[in-house]
Amino acid sequence: MLRRAVLQTFRQGLAQSFFKRNAVSLSETTVTHQPIETSNEADEKSVSKQKPGDESGNTVVVAPPEFRFMYPEFLPDPAMERRNRLKEKLERIDMLQRRSVVEIPEFYTGSVMAVTVADANSPNKFARFVGICIQRGGSGLRAWFILRNVVDKQGVEILYEMYCPLIQKIEVLRLERRLDESLLYLRDALPEYSTFPLDMEPERRLNNSVVPINPLKVKLRPRPWLERWERQNLQGVEDLNLPQRFYDKAEKVAKPWEKYDLMLQYRKTIPAEEQEKIFADVHSQLQQQEFKRKIRRQHSALNDSHMVRVGRDANPNQTRISGSIVPSCMLSSAGDMTFRLETYHY
Amino acid sequence: MLSIVFHKRRRLVRRLFFNHEQVRTMSRVKRRTTHPPYWHVLKNNQRQDEKISSDNLRFVREVIQDKYKNKSPIKGSDLDIEKKEWDPKTKRSGVIARNIGVQHMWEKDGKKVVCTVLHVLDNHVIRYVPPEEYAKSIIGAKVFRNRKPLGCLVVGAEAANPDRFTRQYCSLFNEVGLLPKKRLARFIVTPNAVLPPCTPLTAGHFVVGQAVDVYGKTIDYGFQGVVKRWGFKGGPASHGATKFHRRGGTIGTGRDKARVWPGQKMPGHMGSERRFCRGLKIVRINMKYNVIYVKGTVPGPTNSIVQIFDTLLPRRKFTEAPPHPTYFPPEDGTLPQEDIWDSNMHVFGSPSIPV
Repeated sequence: MLRRAVLQTFRQGLAQSFFKRNAVSLSETTVTHQPIETSNEADEKSVSKQKPGDESGNTVVVAPPEFRFMYPEFLPDPAMERRNRLKEKLERIDMLQRRSVVEIPEFYTGSVMAVTVADANSPNKFARFVGICIQRGGSGLRAWFILRNVVDKQGVEILYEMYCPLIQKIEVLRLERRLDESLLYLRDALPEYSTFPLDMEPERRLNNSVVPINPLKVKLRPRPWLERWERQNLQGVEDLNLPQRFYDKAEKVAKPWEKYDLMLQYRKTIPAEEQEKIFADVHSQLQQQEFKRKIRRQHSALNDSHMVRVGRDANPNQTRISGSIVPSCMLSSAGDMTFRLETYHY
Repeated sequence: MLSIVFHKRRRLVRRLFFNHEQVRTMSRVKRRTTHPPYWHVLKNNQRQDEKISSDNLRFVREVIQDKYKNKSPIKGSDLDIEKKEWDPKTKRSGVIARNIGVQHMWEKDGKKVVCTVLHVLDNHVIRYVPPEEYAKSIIGAKVFRNRKPLGCLVVGAEAANPDRFTRQYCSLFNEVGLLPKKRLARFIVTPNAVLPPCTPLTAGHFVVGQAVDVYGKTIDYGFQGVVKRWGFKGGPASHGATKFHRRGGTIGTGRDKARVWPGQKMPGHMGSERRFCRGLKIVRINMKYNVIYVKGTVPGPTNSIVQIFDTLLPRRKFTEAPPHPTYFPPEDGTLPQEDIWDSNMHVFGSPSIPV
């Protein structure tokens, strides 16, 4: 009965706090003159719900339901043939180990991020790339995300593996969501929607408890396109203005019954009970890591040490697409980062 | 008068003009069966729905518990293993493991490596068959037809409730007094690597950095067509091709032999075959969970049982002595090292690779 109650609260929390994130995972705000108070505040904001107790009298820690969206790579691939609890547990231990060394912040598709990678062939030994996250996927140590930017009128996309040890730093410059889960249509959109300055500063927001949704509607270039966007129910795209035959064919080809298919949804997701177990397992360690990082940030701010930004004092000529931004390790076939050039045309 | 017959000079090595000749030497022994060999005892309990009362069920459970009382873990000092020296020609026992999945790891220069995670189950040695006796058995006679016979260790893994097995199968474990195991395997060993019955085998049996061979049964694809099974190209997808997209095409000429040659590649059952992956390097061993990470992939689907042995590839064999005959954890119960990594691998808790 307690289990049912726990599940109920979990699911309610899921519905209500869809965009809320826990107040402990702040963005790059460094200084608060009362550090202890903020951590107390964070605790009060119910970062972890402590259940009064189960039958044995032990406290049961339940992670907040937002974790499902903040750390989706902790959930394994739902395909039942390839699941094994022991292997998932070991993988999670490795992921937490890696996270204790590098801060992998919370981000969503549509957030603007900067990634610093070790590169033997760049003069600075590090390569920094800024872009908007257009897609993220993978589970466990295979989790990846794609950043897109337009550099010197050339569209550039780089796929980064989140747990690759070559990654030195991941910063979220603007934390927000868009109306779609995948922004691949930016490849066919006008270039200004994918352009972000390479020396962009991290944006600080006043209200940290909610991740804003950017209701931007993107204008697409005239056809031909890379995909049939009219068939994909995109919310973040302006009216496509296509002849009626496209929409008719889209209707013919559509599968409207899939939204009623419970088994399809069941097979695509991990059940709520398992998610709960997984995040409860992982929650305390993540919290500890966040806390340590906050303390470290506050110490460094108090000591007035200048935070070193790699590439900050770099030569402005380095922004040329002569290969200095794109590390050659990304062009290797065995490399874990793939580089995609896009021809830019009006 | 003697007629002198001149014989045409024959080539010593026949050149193969047609694929038929090569195919004719392919083995025609039946490669797959769904039933075990006839000399095996019946394993699984055939009577499934036995209606017994709850009291009797409880009694049966008590009997099982009494019979297989919890034994304390066996230490190295308990067993009477004669201290035998390791030499390069020694063949050690292997281990039964489960392939639990694939994980990505990185080397110290940032190169990604796909590693298979193998979970070493609760292996125990069941019995040892000495070389003379093993050479007389059906399989032993075939294996050692023209060579010096070696001994055979029978190892079992994954203990299970005796209820699901037949009495004949459970009797195989009576000598050792262990709970019957779901899986049995035979490992060929030299007499100096013999282990007494009841010896546990763990992940520590192997050394990080060594090469192993992994035997498993490949993924069962079922009845497959010629394109997937043999890699045929099929036919054109368009340009007027009528009902010829994934078919085999011709199966022989009309003139030569005038029939279909045996071994002609056709649709059929694909997969579920014995295969060995040789020379896979061990990059990490987790002693706490008994898990081995092996570089590369292994035959068989996830969650299937495989057997791991020391490699027989000559250039990757041991140069120094491994844990011989097997590894025994220290007596006081402390683990010397929980997670052992290869020197080439990047440990996850260590700082990011600079360059």
